[in-house]
Amino acid sequence: MSLPVSEVSQPVAAKAELQGGRSNPFLLMPITLFFFLLSVAVLRTPSLMTASGIGAAIIVVTPLILATYALMASTISGRGTVDLSIGPLIGFINVTMIQLNAAGMLENPIPVFLYCMAVGAAYQFVFALIVIYVRVQPIIVSLSGYLALSGINLVILPRPGGMAPPFMAEWGYGTSIFSPVLIILLIASVGWLLFTATAFYTHLRLMGSDERAAYTSGVPITVVRIGAHLISGCFAGLASICFTALISSGDPSQGTTYTLIAVTALVLGGASLGGGRGGVFGSALGALNLYMITYVLSTFNFGAVQSFVTNLAYGAILVISLLLTLLIPVIQRHIRNFSPLLYFVSLSVVVLGIILHATFDYAALGEAPAYLPGPLDLQAALTGPLEIATLSPETLDLRLQVAPLVLFTILLVAIAVFLRLAVGQSSRKSVGPIVAVIVAALVVGGAYAIRETAGISDVETVN
Amino acid sequence: MEKLPQISFPARILGLVIAIILAGLGAGFGFAQGLAVQVVILSSIATLALFVMAWRFVIGQFLEGAPTGDHGPGQLHQAWTQYRWPLIGLALVLAAFLLLSLTVEGFFNPWNVISLAILLAILVLTRTLGRQFQQNRSAFIGIMVLAGLFSVGSMNIEGFSSGNNIKSMLLFASFLGIASIGQTLVALLGGLDLSIPFIIGGANVGLLYLIGLGVPPWLATVIVLFIGTLFGVINGLLSYRLQGQALIVTLGTGFAISGGVQIVTSIGSAYSGNVFGTVPPWLSNISAMNGTTFGLPFPPVIAIWALISLILIIGLRTTVYGRYLYALGVNRTSASRVMISEMRYWVTMYALSGFFAALTGGLLLGWSGGGFIGVGDQYLFLTLAAVVVGGTSLLGGAGGYGFTVIGVLVLQVLSSFLVGIGLDFKWQQFIFGLLILPMVALYARSPHIRTQI
Repeated sequence: MSLPVSEVSQPVAAKAELQGGRSNPFLLMPITLFFFLLSVAVLRTPSLMTASGIGAAIIVVTPLILATYALMASTISGRGTVDLSIGPLIGFINVTMIQLNAAGMLENPIPVFLYCMAVGAAYQFVFALIVIYVRVQPIIVSLSGYLALSGINLVILPRPGGMAPPFMAEWGYGTSIFSPVLIILLIASVGWLLFTATAFYTHLRLMGSDERAAYTSGVPITVVRIGAHLISGCFAGLASICFTALISSGDPSQGTTYTLIAVTALVLGGASLGGGRGGVFGSALGALNLYMITYVLSTFNFGAVQSFVTNLAYGAILVISLLLTLLIPVIQRHIRNFSPLLYFVSLSVVVLGIILHATFDYAALGEAPAYLPGPLDLQAALTGPLEIATLSPETLDLRLQVAPLVLFTILLVAIAVFLRLAVGQSSRKSVGPIVAVIVAALVVGGAYAIRETAGISDVETVN
Repeated sequence: MEKLPQISFPARILGLVIAIILAGLGAGFGFAQGLAVQVVILSSIATLALFVMAWRFVIGQFLEGAPTGDHGPGQLHQAWTQYRWPLIGLALVLAAFLLLSLTVEGFFNPWNVISLAILLAILVLTRTLGRQFQQNRSAFIGIMVLAGLFSVGSMNIEGFSSGNNIKSMLLFASFLGIASIGQTLVALLGGLDLSIPFIIGGANVGLLYLIGLGVPPWLATVIVLFIGTLFGVINGLLSYRLQGQALIVTLGTGFAISGGVQIVTSIGSAYSGNVFGTVPPWLSNISAMNGTTFGLPFPPVIAIWALISLILIIGLRTTVYGRYLYALGVNRTSASRVMISEMRYWVTMYALSGFFAALTGGLLLGWSGGGFIGVGDQYLFLTLAAVVVGGTSLLGGAGGYGFTVIGVLVLQVLSSFLVGIGLDFKWQQFIFGLLILPMVALYARSPHIRTQI
């Protein structure tokens, strides 16, 4: 008769487990999307995984990642602080730095770094003071800053031009992985991770989730909010340095575009715009995902409508990935102790395999083979859009040999999942088992179909 | 004029001294710039008189009911502590004026002095009379700013208050006004709709594309409006569960819509993204500057906007749907307890937002005569600014479309004023940005956290 008791206490325990710990289920979506996009990108263009490919990617994506960090630091503080002015702020620092450099005032690295971070921090300090003492909604303050800064940027530097400080000249080449830009990124990330170990960070998260609770439990919310904004300003300064290194000149309007991209990246990375949730790992993944979406789409050739397709896919992926976050509670019910790190590692092993395959198995790189009308080849239909290179005969041979093994693995996984569900659901009267049976049947059927077509193509090759 | 309030002696002396200094400075500048003696004397006297009057008003309002005891710190000190903020404000305005007079050649002329006096009068009136309006404070302040801007503009800029200029201001205001309807309705529920500019652009291009295909223009308009509404419904359904992220969801659908429309319109066209066609004359009559409404010389779009605004204002105030909307915006839980379907309202408001965005796109096609996907881009933050300046809270439940109309007019008059004094787009944007904050701070301050526990 102790069964009902355990049934009652179990959800409570599950809830406690769900709330506690540092595991963040909201990282599930960015990690999945990241590895999916990475494998597609690698299959489409194996040249991504060379030193120059990665180097170029780092140069391009670092300003975006740092802008997302800047946004994250102030967004965590709550009250719906979505800093729309982050893009114009980056542009402002960039433009003033270029003009001061042209006037011969900022040439050495240390003054440049100090100047950029100080300007960012000063702006965010004023922002925080307005939010705290004038008590206007932060989004209005940021809207105001957006308009004012993007106007003044054009006044300071009417058209793109100017020269970046000389020491930055070689940063933007992106020929090697270990460029100074990567070091800035690493320092910023590690700095934030160290910061998460402090009590200040705990206060910040508490304030972001529930400001009243923080206030009543004695957290100095004024100081905490100012601190969050100062950190955000420093990140914005670093972002503008990397942005300047990327374009190696001044641009009054391009920085402005970072606002929407950074907000998008922040949300894609699983942070909450309401405050209280967010981190560097998710933000970096979100920014990387955005970069990869554009990158992958650019490998498909859509002709004249390329940019429109990019827009469409960009918006669609954004909305879909947001909708998928609604599934997280459902997933959490089944996998209670989700570990982002473990998930990341296991997926990265899979993707490493794909990378190795893409790097070493291709006989010739080049255009996809021309489409020949004929009987539908399932294997080609599945992998055709993904792989652009032709495979060497040995690889094809190997692929056929390994097919039974793949089939066996899929079967094994399906059976394991089925057993897990069957055991878990056995005590309840629900449609769960039936769904499990149907899914398992579909998986097995699919595997069989793959096996069959593999057999057919086997015959064809022999012929 | 009502009786001037009596103020204490030191305060009166202080005001007089400041006024004399001001008038003296003005006279000095006037002579230095070699203006006619009569003009200098006249403007000095005007400055003196207006300042003294404004001073008595602003001080007098703070004196009501204040003890005039002789105890405590000295009278001057007491006056200082009482009137600190208005004094600092006045000093700042005067300092700015002096700075401009010193730096800008020919800035000091009678018109500018009178403009300054009008600005001061507006400030004083908003500080004093604004207290009487607890409910519609933002509307009152907005109207005051509007009146001030308009009078200053018509004195300083030739042809500012001419019929043509007013017509063109109203024309642009009606585009922005119709585009802001959706944003206002959605903001009343506590949401945001950033897909408006993309739907405007999509409707603009799509309508011309359909007309170019040979679809009758009225049918094409209906189709475009329908599709716009459909996009709005999709927006509403998608963002209903993700209300915290409504900003991003609508942005995502906006990107998708703009991409999708461009793909559709460029299929089978040699010019990717560019659409050509002829706009039917009735459509260009609706929104062109030289359009006529039943023979009257103003474009019908102004009348359409006025009609829609009237319906919306009355509807939001009196109908049960309007009241339910406010109820939902203020408190969802209690609204759902009285059987108001949150989902239905949320989706309906987004649908209306899509509809009016598509309508704006169609009207803008009539104005420009050519399809352009980026035609709505400036409305991305401008609609938000109009809503916010008007006084509708982005958190939901407070405000209304009437406020947004005032916000739209303020933005429009301000922008044509800035164009009139020769500032280009970048300066306009800068000044917009700097003005939004203080205007919102005048009426939309949230309470301190300690009062919310």
